[in-house]
Amino acid sequence: MHRFRLTRPRLVTAILIGSLSFVGVAYAASLGLGSGKLHAWSQTLTKGTCNQTSATADDTYVQQANPTSTSGGTDSNLNIGGAAGSQDYAFIRFDLSGCSLPTTAGADNAALTLTVTTKSNDTISVFPVFSSWSSSTLNWNGLGGLTIGSTATTSFVPSNPGALTVPVTADVDAAIKAGTLWGWELRDTSGTAVSTVGSSENNAAGKRPSMSLSYEK
Amino acid sequence: MKRLINIFGVVLTATLLSAGVAAAASLGLSSGQLSAGSVAVAGCTSSSLTVTRNVDNNGNVTQVSVLSVPQACAGETLAVTLENGTHASLAGTSTTVGACTGGCTVTLSVPGSVSAANLSFYALSLTG
Repeated sequence: MHRFRLTRPRLVTAILIGSLSFVGVAYAASLGLGSGKLHAWSQTLTKGTCNQTSATADDTYVQQANPTSTSGGTDSNLNIGGAAGSQDYAFIRFDLSGCSLPTTAGADNAALTLTVTTKSNDTISVFPVFSSWSSSTLNWNGLGGLTIGSTATTSFVPSNPGALTVPVTADVDAAIKAGTLWGWELRDTSGTAVSTVGSSENNAAGKRPSMSLSYEK
Repeated sequence: MKRLINIFGVVLTATLLSAGVAAAASLGLSSGQLSAGSVAVAGCTSSSLTVTRNVDNNGNVTQVSVLSVPQACAGETLAVTLENGTHASLAGTSTTVGACTGGCTVTLSVPGSVSAANLSFYALSLTG
């Protein structure tokens, strides 16, 4: 029987074996093998655009001084007035059903483009609308039946005639998840002037409301 | 005999090292990225759960929500990494899945300012 002797080469070999195997096992453990309970996956997003024109727009304005009037639905401009007793609130929305977005999709960026046709220095606040309306039936007396956000999404001052861009990304993102976009109420929150923006019935196509939308799904 | 012992030592070294590295490689993680389906799942789900996110009006991601997380995953750590088109990390967030009835939506806040326009992938993991 050969008797095993611990010589220097054998000791070095043993240390080498121990060290290298430890490195390998430690590498595996660092990747989560030791947890024994790991599920990993990924999700790829598809990007796209679905810009909106007056073809998918609906808009109107309601008049405090004419509380049963629905004439704002066919006017070529939308009035936004702040004078006590004769306020005008404008409403704009777009039908996104043609975009075929699932409720798990979202807006990356959305911006409303309006054309100021009568300027003022008043602040116009943009409030999200969460319930259905139609330009053919909405009037001042119908405002009480609408659900309108209490906080403005954004605001602007129509101090110059021409096009202006209003960011509405958060509202459109939320609307995609809700399944329907009911648009915005535009209200004068600082003065008594009357401003106007082009409506979807405006004879000049370039003055009608539009909305750019880039999305992910 | 001495030479035989030395050869045995070298072979044993190579074998143990290979076993360790092979165990790591079996996880599909050699690229530094987790790959789905290559790890045995010990329970709560094997599904690729859907993620949605909310944005602010500037288009920055504020929250991500993981939908329909099974009740069995309560107590496990859910981690989400937001990645750009080249799989570079834009932000990461994690939380412990709470108890809920049926499938629950787990919502996580996203740190920093991550533009939704730059977001192309979510990488997720559930660990117990």
